[in-house]
Amino acid sequence: MLDIIFIAATALFFALAILYVRACEGLRKNKL
Amino acid sequence: MTANGWFQIFLVIAVVFVITKPLGIFMARVFSREKTFLDPVLRPLEKLVYRLSGVDENHEMRWTEYAISKMLFSAVSMVLLYLIQRTQQWLPLNPQKLANVPQALAFNTAASFTTNTNWQNYSGEVVMSYLTQMAGLAYHNFTSAAAGIALAIAVIRGISRKETDKLGNFWVDFTRCCLWVLLPICLVGALALVSQGVVQNLKPYTTATLTEPQTVQVTGADGKTTTQVVREQLIAQGPVASQEVIKELGTNGGGFFGANSAHPFENPTPLTNFLELVLILAIASGLTYTLGRMTGSPRHGWAIWAAMVVLFVMGVSTAYWAEAKGNPLLAGADQHSSTMQSGGNMEGKEVRFGIANSALFATVTTDTSCGAVNSAHDSFTPLGGMVPLINIMLGEVVFGGVGSGLYGVVVFVILAVFIAGLMVGRTPEYLGKKIESYDVQMAMLSILIMTFVILGLSAVASVRPFGTSSISNPGPHGLSQILYVYTSSVGNNGSAFGGLNTNTMWYNTSGAAAMLLGRFFMVIPVLAIAGNLAKKKIAPESAGTFPVTGALFSTLLVSTILIVSALTFFPALSLGPILEHLLMLAGKAF
Repeated sequence: MLDIIFIAATALFFALAILYVRACEGLRKNKL
Repeated sequence: MTANGWFQIFLVIAVVFVITKPLGIFMARVFSREKTFLDPVLRPLEKLVYRLSGVDENHEMRWTEYAISKMLFSAVSMVLLYLIQRTQQWLPLNPQKLANVPQALAFNTAASFTTNTNWQNYSGEVVMSYLTQMAGLAYHNFTSAAAGIALAIAVIRGISRKETDKLGNFWVDFTRCCLWVLLPICLVGALALVSQGVVQNLKPYTTATLTEPQTVQVTGADGKTTTQVVREQLIAQGPVASQEVIKELGTNGGGFFGANSAHPFENPTPLTNFLELVLILAIASGLTYTLGRMTGSPRHGWAIWAAMVVLFVMGVSTAYWAEAKGNPLLAGADQHSSTMQSGGNMEGKEVRFGIANSALFATVTTDTSCGAVNSAHDSFTPLGGMVPLINIMLGEVVFGGVGSGLYGVVVFVILAVFIAGLMVGRTPEYLGKKIESYDVQMAMLSILIMTFVILGLSAVASVRPFGTSSISNPGPHGLSQILYVYTSSVGNNGSAFGGLNTNTMWYNTSGAAAMLLGRFFMVIPVLAIAGNLAKKKIAPESAGTFPVTGALFSTLLVSTILIVSALTFFPALSLGPILEHLLMLAGKAF
């Protein structure tokens, strides 16, 4: 069970990181 | 402090200075895809890698694609490392029949090596099989270092290119870094270490019979103490040299053995100690020249290098002074240096390295994001132990990690030219690029994530039982231990203050989160800056342009780094090592 939680947490983190990339790019487009 | 100690410290700086330019030029040529002497051997291999992996080497990426490629690569690598650890008892190359790594520890270790942190809540020789050490950990030592350097090169391209939104190709930069930079140096370096006695084999551990049996007191799980006579010693060994060299060169820091570079099989002689110090600093130092060369301003690279050396000398001088002075509470013990002893505070230090090389190693390993240690930072005097802590808090931009040090210092450069622009009332410029509000916002985001995670997690761990129950020395030293864990994790350093039991569910999971946030949420805004800078025109220099090549710039850069760090972390430091120092002078030790 813990194995699944840790692998899912890893996937979730990197999904958030990709969203963060999009958010930073979105901020640039809104500002410029 | 001795003349010999100072000579050894400045010899390391001198050698690093000498190799900075040639290594910087070589890396600039590698990443600009210019001809190098290794091309006849490596170019066919590179082409084969691209053919097998389906990479189009001529495809250029925007910053978002570059960042996402890095994220996906790290995600897959991290899951693979987790699975290797969780299945190692059924996999080959496990002569000691070591069990699978427990879940929380495997998760922490996977995050740790993926992020180039190499924080270790375990001792490698009793937890990790040879396969895990080689295919799991040493593999990550190469790939996390190569990924960091690739990101730095993308940032350099963002500064040097104009009116484009392309920063290069992550897969090409990554591959060329592994093939041209890391592998050749590691091949030569590993042989040099082997020649000095660093072991490299796949044998089971050797059982040796002691010539003098030892009588020891052992406390069992039931708390009862029994007397045992020890007649045999198990001598751990394995593929150490191949892992040791990339551990230093890639500023990874994760030791094959729990004792890390204090272990005689990892760091057996003064020469290996010297080589390891130079290896840790080599690439990060070389990258400053690569920045200068690729942006067409080598003097800018040297100005950054000079700022780094100033901060380095400040750190090593303080650590050396504090440790050589010794512990005032040990009145009666001879702490003077002589031909027979190093003198000073020798607790937690190897006699063969002494004070100077311990203070130097501690400074080098925390100025960079290496984290390898040849002494116990926990046993340093309060002020001596504060130096490694502050070095990491500076953002590890004093040379810094391979790649991460360079893109970290670029953030401070942007802040420095922004401040200079405010002072003279002009739009700040950096090498002809106008620095606008978006660039400063991203720079601040990058810095704030580190502060937020370090102080936030330290605060939680300092007041909750799951955090405080691991402390070995309550009081200001205990706070320093907690602060060090999260500073080292977020900074992707990986060195431990020791004394704190971090192999618990809380520290394994919160530490993993700190390492991941510190690596990826810090670099994304930096890449955004690079992507934004690449689109800009290069304005010609005018009388009002702030020069980024001289002593004034270096001074401003040093001041910016110190002020940002001091403002952020001084309250926490005053409750930890500074208070401990004052209490020590008042006669109370922790």
